[in-house]
Amino acid sequence: MRLTFDGDVESFRAEFAAFLAEHAPDGAEAAERSRSSAHVPEWARRWQRLLFDTGWLLPGNPPEYGGRNATLLQQYVHLEELARRRIYHSYNPQGLGIVAASLLSFGTEEQKRRWAVPILRAEITAALGMSEPGAGSDLAGLRTRAVLDGDHFVVNGQKVWTSGAHDADVLLTFVRTDPDAPKHKGISVLLVPTATPGVTRRPFGSIAGADDLDFNEVFFEDARVPAANLLGDLNDGWRVATGSLGHERTLLWLSFAARLEELAEDFRPVTPLDRDAYATLLMDAQALRLLGSEALARADRGEQDVAALSVLKLLGSEAVQAASERALEAAGPGALAHPATTAPHAHLHLEAFAAGWFERYARSFAGTIAGGTSEIQRTIIAERLLGLPRK
Amino acid sequence: MLFEFDADQRLWQDSVRRAVAKECPPALVRAVADEAADPGPLWRAWNRLGWTELTAPGEAVELAIVLEELGRAADPTPYLATMTQFAPLAPGDHRPGVAGAAVLDGVTARPDGGGWLLDGTAPHVLDGDRADRLAVVTGAGVFTVPAEAVTATRVPAFDPLLHVAEVTFDGVLVTTADATGADTGPDTDTAERTDERTDERADTRTSAGINANSRAGTSVGADVRTGANFSAGTDAGTITGTGGGTDVRTAADVRTAAGIGTGTSAGVDVCIGAGIGGGVSAGSSYARDLALTGMAVTMVGACRRVLDLTLEHVRSRHQFGAPIGSYQAVKHKAADMHVAVRRARALAYYAALTIAAGDPRRGTAATMAKAAAGECQSVVFRNGLQLFGAMGFTWENDVQFALKRAKAGELMLGGAAEHRARLAAEHLAGGRPTGDPLAGGRPGAGRPPVTDGGERHAAHL
Repeated sequence: MRLTFDGDVESFRAEFAAFLAEHAPDGAEAAERSRSSAHVPEWARRWQRLLFDTGWLLPGNPPEYGGRNATLLQQYVHLEELARRRIYHSYNPQGLGIVAASLLSFGTEEQKRRWAVPILRAEITAALGMSEPGAGSDLAGLRTRAVLDGDHFVVNGQKVWTSGAHDADVLLTFVRTDPDAPKHKGISVLLVPTATPGVTRRPFGSIAGADDLDFNEVFFEDARVPAANLLGDLNDGWRVATGSLGHERTLLWLSFAARLEELAEDFRPVTPLDRDAYATLLMDAQALRLLGSEALARADRGEQDVAALSVLKLLGSEAVQAASERALEAAGPGALAHPATTAPHAHLHLEAFAAGWFERYARSFAGTIAGGTSEIQRTIIAERLLGLPRK
Repeated sequence: MLFEFDADQRLWQDSVRRAVAKECPPALVRAVADEAADPGPLWRAWNRLGWTELTAPGEAVELAIVLEELGRAADPTPYLATMTQFAPLAPGDHRPGVAGAAVLDGVTARPDGGGWLLDGTAPHVLDGDRADRLAVVTGAGVFTVPAEAVTATRVPAFDPLLHVAEVTFDGVLVTTADATGADTGPDTDTAERTDERTDERADTRTSAGINANSRAGTSVGADVRTGANFSAGTDAGTITGTGGGTDVRTAADVRTAAGIGTGTSAGVDVCIGAGIGGGVSAGSSYARDLALTGMAVTMVGACRRVLDLTLEHVRSRHQFGAPIGSYQAVKHKAADMHVAVRRARALAYYAALTIAAGDPRRGTAATMAKAAAGECQSVVFRNGLQLFGAMGFTWENDVQFALKRAKAGELMLGGAAEHRARLAAEHLAGGRPTGDPLAGGRPGAGRPPVTDGGERHAAHL
């Protein structure tokens, strides 16, 4: 057990901090705000490209993919330095964290060149088409069909909750290619350009506002997609799905830790009960860091413990939610104002994280619902960590 | 930070687990509770294993590993009180295998001739009835007195394994020679104090207001290895008193003359005892931090035991044709127990690690550890006993020992709510913006909320 990192990790941190001090865009330059998770303003595209070219975008990647072959611990402090400054990592988080990552893991060289590099350099943006009206937690129940017709797949069906689809250039779309196989075995993954005829995107407002347009319904009506856009093998999409989410999971807890630390700065306790909740928030933030760094040490040795990551997700997302609720209630009538901000303006951050307390609280449910609900996480913990019987 | 055990710590944990399994099986614990079996041999086993020598701050993680396993086993010896309450308060007086206890509040010291007269009653001293020596915290400093100097009466407690005693000081005279020099006051400079403590824990502190201008005299602190208590190395260590029994011992009246001192309040009751909390920023001390951490990690061990027994139960108990552990309502309660244990355990070991490293975050970490252990026992007790159904409600079921150990820990050294209050007060006093207009803050930190999006940019330029 150690309280500090080795020198190589700390010098890596210092190098990145110096880079940020010199190159991070200032407030005037970054004035245009991102309006969805696939809308990247021009300044942010330039910034992401600079990060890519200097190897600071995803430091764990090799240089040709925006990195510098950094170790996992170096990647961790990279994210820590961003969070500490309230700098949002990428305005196309699914594109960077899931779509490009999946392409790099499962794509052909041609696919990496054609899709991954442009996404990483913010020349194009990508969205993730997984959930459907009838397939949420039970993702493998998805029904969007793709039928091979010559050198094209013909896609029919519907996705929903497709964040940023209306601003995205391409959708990583999970489709059923073998309706007769067991449900996990008939799934494939296609890169569907959003300009494809037969693809209709309909953004809809969130609880935060009718004009908060990030979610989309996406309809596919005889959309013809080149067979070359198949990612991974035919009917092997479940492996891509678990791999894709795996990319997200290892350090997903860090985003909850960042939210908690922001809350610790922004939450103003008034009553003794607020202060009590405030202390819980401090403890949750500390505990999440500790448990996260334990998982990090394991992952650094190459051990993957997916179920243990469920503990981090559950603890982190529920802690953010509990603290957000207390902060909202502590703010009293001041929190009625909408739109409002509750944090110092951070021009490189997402506005949602400095939004009014109601919005911050409402958005905390993204943490307890998306990426496996808290209920699913509890079941995973009980079955896979505690060994309770499935049935 | 890399928060996992290193190879040596894993080896240590394995050997501790093996030793606890061998020396302190559930049957022994049951026998102590039901048949007044003597835990003396077990205490001597811990001593033989070298566990009573783990007093260096640098060994705090190793000590925590032992405590977690002993908490898990509902250890019936005075190990916790000796190692985490007595030893850090009386570093120069700790001897491996000699049982100690700490009297944290209720005793006053008034100058008398050349020393101080200690008077008062401490109602709930952990292992106060079976310690060979007691470290007593007073306004004039911390003194070590032999068990013979006080009257200690075991108080019946809901935990049949726990020894809690009412300890009365009736004019016990102590001198500077009995002062332990323990650092009990709030650290004004934690980092510096910590280093000092790491290097020479047994220093004699004169700065606490103890006047060194003392006449020579016999001290009650002189060799006290005469008590018929938990003495290692001899088999004289008989323990009387089992569930509900009392073990009354009246000490010889020890009166000696010694130097006079001008006691200043060390504020230990605020630091360690029941007085923690309520927005009092009491700071940190080695003794306080170790006591809190030790209790926290013990509670975590007990909670792990409750969880393990509960899991065993819900896997084997069938209703409606299926193990009850296959039902989601049961699974989710178990998962919440697991998360609570993981959280509390992480914070407890973090506190131990900061003690071992002499890290300035030690005081805060110890506060968090005790609060988190308290929250953990609440979830674990509630869900554990509920999932056990009627089986857990019986005397025969061993889950009671772990449940009670965990709950008792919450009741000692300040509960979770007190520690949360303290944590928030310290953190907010440290410059976080607060809703209290009178509260000071870091310059610029008390920025008023800005509610208009358009003004926001200007407000933060």
